[in-house]
Amino acid sequence: MPYRITHMELTIPRVATLRRDPDQAAKDAETADAALAASGDGRAFERLYRTHVARVHSLVRRMIGPDHADDVAQDVFIRAWTKLSTFRGDAAFGTWLHRLAVNVILARRSTVGTERSRIDDSEHVWEGVAGRPAAPEMSMDFEAAIGRLPEGARQVFVLHDIEGYRHEEIADMLGIVTGTSKSQLHHARMALRRHLER
Amino acid sequence: MNDHWTDRLSEYLDGDLTAGERTALEAHLAACGVCRVTLDELRRVVARAQALDDRPPAADLWPGIAEHIGVVSLAARRVDGRGRRRLSFTMPQLAAAAVVLALFSAGSTRLLFRNRPPSPTQGTTAIMTNVGMSPLDARTAASVAALEENLARNRGRLDTATVRVIEKNLGIIDRAIRDAQSALAADPANAYLNQHLAQETRRKLELLRQAATLASARS
Repeated sequence: MPYRITHMELTIPRVATLRRDPDQAAKDAETADAALAASGDGRAFERLYRTHVARVHSLVRRMIGPDHADDVAQDVFIRAWTKLSTFRGDAAFGTWLHRLAVNVILARRSTVGTERSRIDDSEHVWEGVAGRPAAPEMSMDFEAAIGRLPEGARQVFVLHDIEGYRHEEIADMLGIVTGTSKSQLHHARMALRRHLER
Repeated sequence: MNDHWTDRLSEYLDGDLTAGERTALEAHLAACGVCRVTLDELRRVVARAQALDDRPPAADLWPGIAEHIGVVSLAARRVDGRGRRRLSFTMPQLAAAAVVLALFSAGSTRLLFRNRPPSPTQGTTAIMTNVGMSPLDARTAASVAALEENLARNRGRLDTATVRVIEKNLGIIDRAIRDAQSALAADPANAYLNQHLAQETRRKLELLRQAATLASARS
């Protein structure tokens, strides 16, 4: 049903006083901002950054740890700026950015996680996260427990249970078979259940 | 305690077992309290993971990004002492302003170059030419095309008066762009014309973006 425009904000279009579906409106506004940013509009790109930085940074932090999170998250947005012309608006901008972030993270893991990955598959690594805390006050924060998972299990857990990717997609991204992805996920869940709030 | 079925609980939870395996596991669950407890804990782990909050970085990353890509931060502009006021306009005010600006732009180009012969590109869709396009031009053209497609798809959500205003303004801006392109065909190195064409293109992008935002609204 058509509506009649009575008032709008020029500087922040998304707060225009219109009745709308917030999700669809936000998606369309982001598509428009992405188009503007692709033409060189830095303000439009900053709006996109501010909308998505928390999600991107959280993804990076969970995948490769806090030490390099700022650097890698920054790289994600710089890469997004250079790749904006490839965003066609078929999917939501957030979905496109998220997939790009995963690619950047996985590319960086070869430099960031090389040393850790050499020892992550050994049994003793699981002991650090799998041991049930002795007392509630010593209970490890759930996020911190994720960070102490072996690298492979942590990445599968984050991608599957937090980000919602399927095993086939994860296997493709990580270069493993789906059976390994399922096995890593189960081990991660079994370790993390000991760190649930009681 | 761990048994053969414990290692299959995540697959059960995710619906990855075959019908036969599922039936067998459910029969096992009916008899095994340990597996029932483990399954409940795994469910809670998944629920906990899905409920995690996203947190922004402790320090804003934008200044570093902006520096790297060569743009200025909005926040930096706000604290530079000049402090822009947020402007608010009614739609009629916006439409009137757009018409005046577009007429001025189109008129100034015509006045400057009215004695030049018409360009072969005159009468075709503004901007959409691949000849001599820089990468930035190509990206802009793609952005304009995407936003025009968005507007065409969603124009039914706008009332006819709004569509009329938008199309009228787009027509004026397109004429200004065509005039600039025609003049540039005769004088490609003219700095004013290049700047004018870029300005009109940005204006078109902005108008299309506003239109797309308005069209996204639902009653």
